[in-house]
Amino acid sequence: MTADATWPGTTPVSPAARHAHLARCLERARAGDLGALDEVVEALTPLLWHVARAQGLQSDDAADVVQTTWLELLRRLHDIRSPQALTAWLVTATRREAWHTGARRRKQAGAGPELLDTLPDPGPDAEELVGRGERYQALWRNFQRLPARCRELLRVVAQADRPDYSVVSRALGMPVGSIGPTRGRCLAKLRALLLADPAWSPR
Amino acid sequence: MTEIPGAREPSATEPLDELDVAILADLNEFHGLVDPPPSDLAERVRFAIALENFNVDDLGVVVSRLQDDEMVGSGARGTERSRTVTFDSDSLTIMVTIADAEPADGDGVRLDGWLAPAGALRVELRVTRDRSDPRGESYAVTADQTGRFVFDGISRGLAQLIVHPTPESGVDLATRVVTPSVLL
Repeated sequence: MTADATWPGTTPVSPAARHAHLARCLERARAGDLGALDEVVEALTPLLWHVARAQGLQSDDAADVVQTTWLELLRRLHDIRSPQALTAWLVTATRREAWHTGARRRKQAGAGPELLDTLPDPGPDAEELVGRGERYQALWRNFQRLPARCRELLRVVAQADRPDYSVVSRALGMPVGSIGPTRGRCLAKLRALLLADPAWSPR
Repeated sequence: MTEIPGAREPSATEPLDELDVAILADLNEFHGLVDPPPSDLAERVRFAIALENFNVDDLGVVVSRLQDDEMVGSGARGTERSRTVTFDSDSLTIMVTIADAEPADGDGVRLDGWLAPAGALRVELRVTRDRSDPRGESYAVTADQTGRFVFDGISRGLAQLIVHPTPESGVDLATRVVTPSVLL
């Protein structure tokens, strides 16, 4: 049995194996076997969901944006040659579509152009956090103290595989050297806040 | 001055270490718990992209959902539920009202749609009831000159509308227009 046949299974596989598998699925899809995209969709849809939600969209809008992005991908499939290029394209396209949808919603609501910071954060309410443990509460409390741009970056990058961190950071418009080989300013800031918080402890 | 371990301001230019990776893993888990994607989102995507006759040059325009209003008991029968969904793009606006079918017709739904600009365009409805069948079934009707179209007795499930360029319709549509899938 090949490694292919066991993925996605219950056994965790290495990011490198996932990567190689996605590359093969992408190749098959480019050759006309659209069914091969199913696994790619399963693997990357959660990442795109968080890209859309981090832009402050309501659930229904975020779900539509994710669908629209995948539909648009079909048209671009022939230009995309590697899983990293695919991830970069999908993140960029989702973010752009989410931005357009957010702008349209604000226009509908009669509000002027607002900044990310003023949008309702789709985060959990305090009640939900009770029972999730002190470490999570401390994580959330300190995460909320970061600038909106850092929250977006960290939330989304955390959903990616480690080899894709830098590609995702760049797709989110962050300069080279944010999260990737280096820690980057946003993660450095969160790390400092957490280390200074007596309620937080690393797991 | 001696440096206190852990109290030092972590540098942004240092390589990622295990603690960074652990913090990111916590953030991943945290957001996955408090704001997970809808459980059927990947399935909705798979249905939406399982298009027949797929051709890179003819995917068409993807329209987005502008509005989704649910109304309860507003119909003639008082208890019926209906929902109006509007899709919008530069080339075409599609509005569909989804209502319970007549009780005699089972528990299906009826779709009443309008196209703008109006014209006798061919409208395709893809529906899947069975979650293991991403292709589903496909129905087609032609809208009347005022852009109205109806699908009746449609089973509940995931649905997607595709409006095809129709030369004799008088509406100049360069490519087909595809909606995201919606749950009926």
